[in-house]
Amino acid sequence: MSYKANTGHPHATPNFRNLVIRPMWMTLKTALRTVPFVGKLSILKNNYHGKPTTMVDATTMLRVGSNHPSVGQSFAPDRETSQVMPFVERPVTVMYPYERLEDLEPWLFVPGNYNGRIGIIWETCTACKACVKVCPNDCLHMTSEVRVNVLELTEEGDDHHGYGEELEEGGYAAREKGDYDGIASGFDLVNAHTDAPQQYDFAEVIELTGDKATVRWSDGSGIETIDSSTLKPAEQDIVSGQIDIGRCMFCGLCAEACPFESFFMTNEYDGMAEFSREELWMDASRTRVLPAVHQERVDLELAKRAKKEQKKRDRKAARAEA
Amino acid sequence: MMASRDWLDVVGWSESFSGWSMDNVHNIMPSNDIDMQVTIPSTWAWQEPITLGPIFNMQSGFASIQPALESFMHATIMCTVVFTTMMLTMLAIPYIERKFIGRLMDRLGATTTLRSLWVGESGVTAGEWWKQLPFGMGVPIGWAVKALNSTWGNSHDLETIARVNNRSYHGYWFLLPGFFQAFADFMKFATKEHIVPKNADKVVFEVAPVIILATTVMVFAFVPFGPHIYAANPELSLLFMMAIFGIAPLGVFFAGWASNNKYTLIGGMRSAAQLTAYEIPLLITVLGVAVLSGSFNIIEIVDFQMGQDQGNVWNIFLMPLGALLFLVTMIAEVERIPFDMPEAEAELVEGWWTEYGGIRWGLMFAAEYMRSYAACILFALFFLGGWEAPFQHTLSGLPVVGGVLTTVFSLIPGMIWVLLKAWLLFAVFVWIRASLHRVRTDQILEFGWRYLLPLSMLNLVIAVFLRLQFWTGEPWELWVPVAVTLISGGLFVILAIDEDKEALEIQRRPYSTQAVVKASPGSHRD
Repeated sequence: MSYKANTGHPHATPNFRNLVIRPMWMTLKTALRTVPFVGKLSILKNNYHGKPTTMVDATTMLRVGSNHPSVGQSFAPDRETSQVMPFVERPVTVMYPYERLEDLEPWLFVPGNYNGRIGIIWETCTACKACVKVCPNDCLHMTSEVRVNVLELTEEGDDHHGYGEELEEGGYAAREKGDYDGIASGFDLVNAHTDAPQQYDFAEVIELTGDKATVRWSDGSGIETIDSSTLKPAEQDIVSGQIDIGRCMFCGLCAEACPFESFFMTNEYDGMAEFSREELWMDASRTRVLPAVHQERVDLELAKRAKKEQKKRDRKAARAEA
Repeated sequence: MMASRDWLDVVGWSESFSGWSMDNVHNIMPSNDIDMQVTIPSTWAWQEPITLGPIFNMQSGFASIQPALESFMHATIMCTVVFTTMMLTMLAIPYIERKFIGRLMDRLGATTTLRSLWVGESGVTAGEWWKQLPFGMGVPIGWAVKALNSTWGNSHDLETIARVNNRSYHGYWFLLPGFFQAFADFMKFATKEHIVPKNADKVVFEVAPVIILATTVMVFAFVPFGPHIYAANPELSLLFMMAIFGIAPLGVFFAGWASNNKYTLIGGMRSAAQLTAYEIPLLITVLGVAVLSGSFNIIEIVDFQMGQDQGNVWNIFLMPLGALLFLVTMIAEVERIPFDMPEAEAELVEGWWTEYGGIRWGLMFAAEYMRSYAACILFALFFLGGWEAPFQHTLSGLPVVGGVLTTVFSLIPGMIWVLLKAWLLFAVFVWIRASLHRVRTDQILEFGWRYLLPLSMLNLVIAVFLRLQFWTGEPWELWVPVAVTLISGGLFVILAIDEDKEALEIQRRPYSTQAVVKASPGSHRD
């Protein structure tokens, strides 16, 4: 009987107290509550999980009037009493979403045992789209674009020089188009809502050797080895991440596919019922999980990236020496 | 030892009535000798005349068999009295079961047996059947029913609630709604067809209910309802009674086997399996009671608990552990939840009696309740002082009210206390049934062998120790039961508040998460 299960809740541990004493006390309390006079003792009166059970509260009484038949009765929305025995109450329903089972009766609620709403730590997402590819129901949608992040382009003499992006094998690179300034100036910023000025030709960096870079152009024009000084580092950024939760079957393959510990099946079970299918399209804000909730995962991911960064700097230092 | 006694001396009355009747029979017999001798005169073949036939006196002849007849008559009367008492007072048992479990589980169910047929609910009066009666005989009935319906019917200001309350009628205790359901049930069972499965072992199938019922009724032969209400009182009534109590599981096994059905077979097997787990601890616990009270006679055990000059303390205060063990093992013995695996209706349709129907099912059901009832009475007799009022001696010894209370206690027959205690005990049975879940076969085996058996041995050791060390033939020193009760209660409380502190700390699981941003903008949470 000293068997200790990691059930995650003290009320869910199978010991003498929880298997015998607690249930017997609960039933006894329930029975004693039906006894006239004795049932009114405060020790038996747990109202509704500690909240008052007045059917009509003061505010409601303003609306329905003080001669409504339910006024003065010890009702709760789900606890029925009668005038004959007003101290007999029957709790039936957890008044979700006003109340939730894990708040009221945590011993009945086993967290982490099911796949709930999808939660994503967007801060550590790299837009690799592994989740999108693996989703059997096509309910994940992610738009990303390769772009030049000007904030990363620190130059010689800047405060943060050396900390920004740089060309990297396997990464992305961009080359200014010939008409760079013309494209920018000719762009209709007022009327173009969906397009961005296409000032760059993007490419994937295949190999970096000295000053030369071998790249594969994204427009399909093939592999070319050019001077790396003409290239700017580019990166793939998320433009939008959406989930059609109405199509989701909560298989959790996406969470398993995520190589960056960013994708989770939470135990949230609400917020997935709406009045139209459109409302079931959940944007990034509705899937957000705070990094603090998964601090250890975030730390893991950050450590991984710090290691990578360190490697990069070591390489750079080695190159500088050479 | 001064045997306890009260004015309800049924045994004495029966004995004196038997004696009186037989004396009267004796007296109306002709007192003179009846000469039925025939003398054959002597012939050549025999010299002496031969006298054949008796000279008999009916009175003295009757006198030689009168004691046997008296005890037979006495036994018959007492068997009838005890059986009738048992059957009548047992009406309360299923009533307690149904009513109390409704309150325990917050399911105050429909009270629709006799009461709702008669009174009706919410203005519905069972089809106004009194209008069918001839000559307007039903008119007063209609008035009465309508008056009852409007006064005590299940109505509510809100019509919907009144309708719903048909399901959750709380009842007026003084109407005892549903009390006579047992009669209705019996009539139903008695009129049902007797069906024997085609492939059943017919003989054993028919014999099994007889075994169960006969042994169950036989248990009550040795269970005294009061100091003078018992059918038989042999020296070793405790042993007789426990021996007979243990036979019924055999009948259960017979029934399960003979029905030739997978559910009944599993039920019977489970019954046989759990038999070994509880029977031995039960007997050792009862042995502890016998050791503490110094007798194998149930009446003497009770007398020991209430005797002024020998014991004066209920056994429950001297061996609370024994009381707990007896309760647990008896629940297992009578196969009630949480040890009702043989008839686990959630898994095996109805367990070992799945194939039985009609009056056989009804009688076996009655036998189940009889066994529970017997268990409750035995608990009252072994541990709760039997027919002694709670703290009777202490209360009678109080300075001012003591005299009044003595008179009151002398007016109340002991059977009342036995019944009250037994019914209360049955309420505990029901309480346990409403609270605990059914255990698995392996769990009861482990529980029986690894916990009940050592604990019952410990209880026996405690009983021997108490008897040898602290009992001197005088009443118990007051500190002995107080100390035993306090220590046992303290241990129980320590066991009961065993909260898992580690579980409190590991509540946060690595993979359980909660989204911070509420998914639905309209959510009323937080």
